This record gives sequence, C-alpha cells and structure tokens, in this order.
Amino acid sequence: MKITDENDRKSYKDVWILAEINDGEIHSVTYELLGIANELAGASGCEVAAVCLSSHVTKEMTDSLIYGGADKVITVTDEKLAAFNDELECNILQRLVGKYKPEILLGAATNRGRALMPRLAGTLHAGLTADCTELSIDPDNGDLLQTRPAFGGNIMATIRSGEFRPQMATVRPKVMRALTPDNTRRGTVISESAEPSDSAGIKEIIETVKRSEATASLADAKIIVAGGRAMGGPEGFRLLEKLASLIGGAVGASRPAVDSGWIDYAHQIGQTGQTVQADLYISCGISGQIQHLVGMQSAGTIVAIDKDDTTPMMNLADVAVKGDLFEIIPLLIEELENMKKEG
Amino acid sequence: MNTNHYGYHVEIIPPKQDSQKLEEDLQLFASKLTRVMGSGFTASITDNAMGLLAFQGHECIEELGIDVDPSKILIHLNTFHTKKDLDGILDSLKRLGITSILAISGDGSPRLPKLQPDDVGAVGTASVTSVELCAYVRKNYPEFTVGVAFNPYEPPEHEFEKLERKLAAGASFVITQPIIGQNDIIDRLIEKHPDLPVMIEAWMSKKLYLLSDVVGYPIPEDAEFDPLATLESLENTYPGSSFYLSLLGFKTQYETVEQMAAAKEARS
Amino acid sequence: MKIIVCIKQVPATTEAKIDPVTKRIIREGTQAVLNPFDLYAIEEAVSLKEQCGGEVIALSMGPENAKKALTEALSMGADEAILLSDRAFGGSDTWATGYALARAIETIGGADLIICGRQAIDGDTAQVGPVIASKLGIMQAANVMKTVSAEGGSFTFHRMNESGFDVVRLTAPALITVLKDINVPRIPTLRNARRARAAEIKVWKPDDIGADPAMIGLAASPTRVVKTQPQTSRNTDTFRIEGEPRDAAKTLAGELLRRKLF
Repeated sequence: MKITDENDRKSYKDVWILAEINDGEIHSVTYELLGIANELAGASGCEVAAVCLSSHVTKEMTDSLIYGGADKVITVTDEKLAAFNDELECNILQRLVGKYKPEILLGAATNRGRALMPRLAGTLHAGLTADCTELSIDPDNGDLLQTRPAFGGNIMATIRSGEFRPQMATVRPKVMRALTPDNTRRGTVISESAEPSDSAGIKEIIETVKRSEATASLADAKIIVAGGRAMGGPEGFRLLEKLASLIGGAVGASRPAVDSGWIDYAHQIGQTGQTVQADLYISCGISGQIQHLVGMQSAGTIVAIDKDDTTPMMNLADVAVKGDLFEIIPLLIEELENMKKEG
Repeated sequence: MNTNHYGYHVEIIPPKQDSQKLEEDLQLFASKLTRVMGSGFTASITDNAMGLLAFQGHECIEELGIDVDPSKILIHLNTFHTKKDLDGILDSLKRLGITSILAISGDGSPRLPKLQPDDVGAVGTASVTSVELCAYVRKNYPEFTVGVAFNPYEPPEHEFEKLERKLAAGASFVITQPIIGQNDIIDRLIEKHPDLPVMIEAWMSKKLYLLSDVVGYPIPEDAEFDPLATLESLENTYPGSSFYLSLLGFKTQYETVEQMAAAKEARS
Repeated sequence: MKIIVCIKQVPATTEAKIDPVTKRIIREGTQAVLNPFDLYAIEEAVSLKEQCGGEVIALSMGPENAKKALTEALSMGADEAILLSDRAFGGSDTWATGYALARAIETIGGADLIICGRQAIDGDTAQVGPVIASKLGIMQAANVMKTVSAEGGSFTFHRMNESGFDVVRLTAPALITVLKDINVPRIPTLRNARRARAAEIKVWKPDDIGADPAMIGLAASPTRVVKTQPQTSRNTDTFRIEGEPRDAAKTLAGELLRRKLF
C-alpha cells in the first residue's frame, strides 16, 4: 500500500520472512532468509518474524526457526496447506499483513516464492524485487535497498520501493548466510487460523508427483562440465556425466562434439546453441573459439583442462590445468569422492 | 544434380522470418531465382543459414507461384526441423519436381527444433547429423540426389572419416567450405575420390573476415582480396570441379560471372 | 474457448552476437525481439485453440514497435492482437504493468484462459503473470509444464515444484505461466506470416481500458531503480596447474574446494 504520511510509515515495523516448508521439512533457504532478516532488523532496530504456512507445524520446527534467528514465529496450520496453493496462501498473507503491518517481507526465490510473492504484491499494491543478491537498509531514510542482477547479469541494479509498504523481496537459495543456530535464543509463537472462507477461487491440487532426479536444464545449471572434440566419442561424455553427477552439474558440449553425433544438440553451448550462466564451468578439451565463448563466458569461475595450454579457453580460464583429460578427470573424480567421504 | 561444369551454383538466401519488408524481400528472392535459372546456373537455396530463421525455399516458390526449372534448383536441408516439417518439405519438393538436396547438420538456434534419432530411424547416435539425415532421405525418398558438405578446415582425419560415413549413407556429391586458393586437403579429397563430383565453394564477398567467422578458423587477412580474380584462379587450379558461389553480388558481380561461364563454355 | 496470451517485446541483450571486425561480443540494445519464453505461451494458446476451438488474442504493452512481437504471435496463429501503448504507461514496473494488462483483459471481456511465458528475459522477474491474476482475482498456476486437459471450463495442468510436479485443477477463468517443456513452438509458414503482416493491430490508450490514471505508469509503480553498476569483470589472472596428473588433480580439487565451488 502506498504510504500516506509519516504516521502511516511508522505504523509498519518488523522484518518478516516466509518459511519455505516442503513435505514438513524446513528448507535451508528459510534460515538464510532469517540470517539476512537479522541484519536488516539490527539496522532498523525491530524484530524478525518467520511466517509458517503448513499442514503441520511442530514445536521442533518453531524452535528451530527461533534458534535460527526468529524473534516471533507466526504459524497457520491447515490441511489445505499441505501442497502449495497460490490463492489460499495469498489470502492468508494478505490478512496477516493487514493485521500486523510488517515493514519488510522476504521470501525465497523458489517456484513457490516466485509465484506467491508477486500475487501478494499485486493484491497489496506493494513493491517486489525478485532474486536479490544483496539487501541493506539505507541509513538516511531506513528504506530497504534491494540489489539484483539485470540484463543477463551484466549489470547490478539497486531498487527501492520506499513509498509503499511492505517492502517485498525474494532471495535465491544459497545467496545469503544463515546464522549459527543458537538454542539459547527465545522467541514467541503466535498461532493464527487459516480461516478459509470457502473454496471458491481456490484451485484443487489433485496430487504431487516426485521425480527421482530432476535433471537440471543446462540454461539453469549452476555447474556445467562441458566437452569438445577432444572427448573423442560418446564414451568421453560418459566420463563427463560421471564428474557432473558427482558435483551436481549438467553436461554441456561444443558444436564439433554435437556435430559428430556424440551428444544431443540440447547440450550445445555457444552462438548456435544455448547461452548459460553457470557459477562453475569446467571446460574439457574445448579450445574456446569465439562461437563457443559467447555462450558461456559469463560463468562465475571457469576451469579449463587441455593438453594445449595456449588455447583461448586456457587463457580465459580462472584455473587452467595442462594435461591429458582422460588421466586428469578420473583422478579428479577420485579426489572429489575422497573429499566427500572425509566431509 | 546438374553436373554442368560451366554453370555455377549460386547461393540464394530466402527472406528472413523477421523481415520488416517481407513483400519486397520476396520479390527480390523471386527475381534472383529467375535470373540464376535464366543464366543456366543452379540456384542453391539455404535452410535457416547461421541459425537465422528464414522462410523455406519451397514455400517461397509455391506461395509466389514462381515458374521454376526444377533441375536448376538445389535445396539445402538441415537437421533443425521437426519430423513433420522435414517430411512436409520433402513432399513439397517432390511436388515441385525438385530432386537435388544438400544434407547438412546446419546451424541451430534455441528457436529451432532438432531432429531426434528416433525421427529418422537412427540407432547408436545421440544426435542427428548430416549422415543420419542423408540416410533418411535416401531410404524414404529414393528419388532425391543428396549432396553433403566437406570442411577442409576441420582436422582432416575426422573429416575424411565422416565423409566415408556420408557416402555410405548415400551421398553422391560434395560441396566444400569456401577456399581462397589451392588447398592440400581438397587435393587429397579429389585424389581419393576421383569419381565423386566435388563442388568447390568460392567466397564472393570482399569481406574475407566474414569467411573466417563462417568456418570458425582464422584465415590470413588479405587486404586486397579480389573474389572474381580468386574464382578465376581457383577454376584454373581445379579444372575438373564445378563452383558454388556464396554471397555473390547480383548488382556488382553477376554479369562478370555470367561472362566467365560463357567464355569457359566457348573454350571447351 | 477464449484465450488471451500476454507477450512482451524485449531487447535482445542476452543474445550475444559477435562483431566481425573486433571479434568482441555485441550486446545490442537497440534490437528488439519477442521474449523467447512467450513463444511457448503463444504455441500453447494456438494449439489449445486448434484442439478445442475458439480464439486467441495476443496482448502486449510497450512502445509502437512492440507491434513486431504481436505480428509474430499472429504469424503463429493468434486471431487478433492488441497493443497498450501510450506515454502514460511509460515507466511501469511489474505491478503497474499487471494492472494495465488486467484492465485490458477486462475490456476484452475476459477470457477462459490467460497464458504468459515463464518470465521475460530482460527483467527475469516472473511477476507480471501472478500480478495480473491477483488484479483479476482469478486462479493461477505458475511454471506449468504440461496441459493434461482443457474442457468444460476446467483445466488440469502439471505444475513444476521443487521436487517434481503437482497435478492441479483450475476453473475458468484462470491464468498460467508456462515453461519451455510444455511444447515445441511452431515456425510460422510464409502464408501465415504474410497474412499477419497485413493484419491490423489495435492500439489502446489508458482511456480505452478505463484505467485509473493513478494506477498506471511510473507514479503507480512501487519500485524504483536507484542505481545501476556494471558487474565486476572477470579476473584474467589464470591460476595454472601442470605436472603429474595425480598432483594436478589434487591441486585442482583443492582449488575447487577453496573457492567453495561445489
């Protein structure tokens, strides 16, 4: 809602986070939201509340939220909240926001958060910034400063919505830091009812289907292991698949590898393939022609493995390993497996 | 295929999907096509070249009702189609009486669908390449003559091995990537396959750097690149080959090329 | 069935092209294209129309040249196209855009199904769809990966979630945003492309949709961009590893761990 005057502005206080609960488990992003919420609350001298909408909320769960940084936990428990229902959750939150008037409302940039938060912002006439990587309080006026990547990550934009309340933002998982859980922390738990007036306007969720391993699509993958002509054949890509699955990545390829029929076009990265934005890009025997580089060079960290250490890719890389990839990759897999075992 | 050594193959690119002056572009396409056929040359019509979405050659011909000599048309066909579209294209070509095809892997884009191995009955491959496409056309549309590409800029062992597979799949002629002078790999190709028609692509643009972008390998920069002179010298170097002209300037080069063809024919 | 598909023209910024002379990437700001995700929304709308009968109306908001995106929708099979275009809409954020599109949808007389792409590649916010649904007070499903059935004013979809998908049933009118998994967008035929170019695209102003002047454009937009800065460019100091394969693998694994990369 648009702020009418100074008193109106002051009537909004506290930082809220929407707990992300899947199958009765609190998703780790919830604690990350609590972490940043504590920083923001510290800067503006207010409290942090976690809102739990779920079919089932236990004392363990509310305790865990308090240990993770919540001063208050507002719970709404209803069978209908077992699976994510945009309309129902939006109705409940609209009511809670009206009642408690939070100044800031943070959600996770998950499938749920990215559907629910804009619906709520639309209903409330509030500002919402998606996928923030930084959040801070403007020391001059107390507004929430929200920084997010724009234009394919080439630019960082800082956004405010100071004339509207609550100030809403979503944050991607693994971006903010959670606090170290502190079991001496105390907080209050407030129970609110779902009060679903009736089922009109609420969708029906017939069933929820789990997929064993949702394969990360290349465009969204955070880690990519890519191979070129040096992979020598489809068997070479099996090796890359093994490395990728070990580190939770997807497999990419350069055009010559795809043109040779070793791997499907869906894996091709570059000018005539996909453009990717990985945090980690491991290039295996890809020389790095410009046609390939345009598709991947915005990667956070580039690791290149090649026999020839003079290629464009080896020069572009943050880490360049000179050697035979058929020797190095199996040994790397071994090393990483050992590290995993040792924790 | 038109194996007349004196007549050139002239590449023509159909109007782009995002053209802001489509009707004009269609008229230009029709006039180029008519002119090329009128000179006794073969019009070689591309298929979403460089992954840029364009209309298909056959639909331009059908939609505009262009009067064509089907024996003077070569249609490029790449692997970025749905099975339905692929069969649709081949059926339309049959209707038009066009029977020459250049099967290439082609350039993709996120907008273009890609043929899957199941679509073309390919086994033991993760990706459909020109090899599988060629085999599919030859098997299901035996009336088509299928040519394939040969890239002298790729590592030669790899390229020759791939050519063997293309020939085994039923390819009966070859078009090379553009060269600008005598080329050892192409010499080897001609020596190895004396009976295989090899068509050499000549780069008709003065912008040589564009060629290095197309083939993906650095080509020594030649400030004084003269396409027509280069074509002439290539013809002397490779007298047994026919020539494929890409990026031919219809206003600036066409008449000269026509005269060259006539002179060549008169000489013989 | 009446279907409205909401689309956006976006700068082709993430489409990297190479400057042939300098060999550097051009991030063309001037070239505008149809948001790639919207192709799937258009395809879904047109194929549902082909199955169930009815009509597809493509709707967009933007400058006059956004007609190009609408022409593309018509080329793919939309029956009608409407563009909201006026200075007064300028500076709209996702909230104000959602409001204006919702008003336009009401002016059209509503629809059984409203389809949006997953998100626009310029902003990547994925917000406008849900904002429209909230302004219309209708059911929504974001990230739809499959249409199971669409009949008798009831729709069943597969909606992606974190570990798989939900099977959801929505009652018309409803809004969905669709993922790339949902279909393979058709390539327009020359015949349809020519027809689309000859078609008229209606241009609507705020008055045409009965918009509250206080609810459109910059003034109604809660969010303000206060600062932009280029992302820090990549470190060109390459850390080089060579030597015995075992040692190299060990050093690399250590380096990945040190950089917290997995």
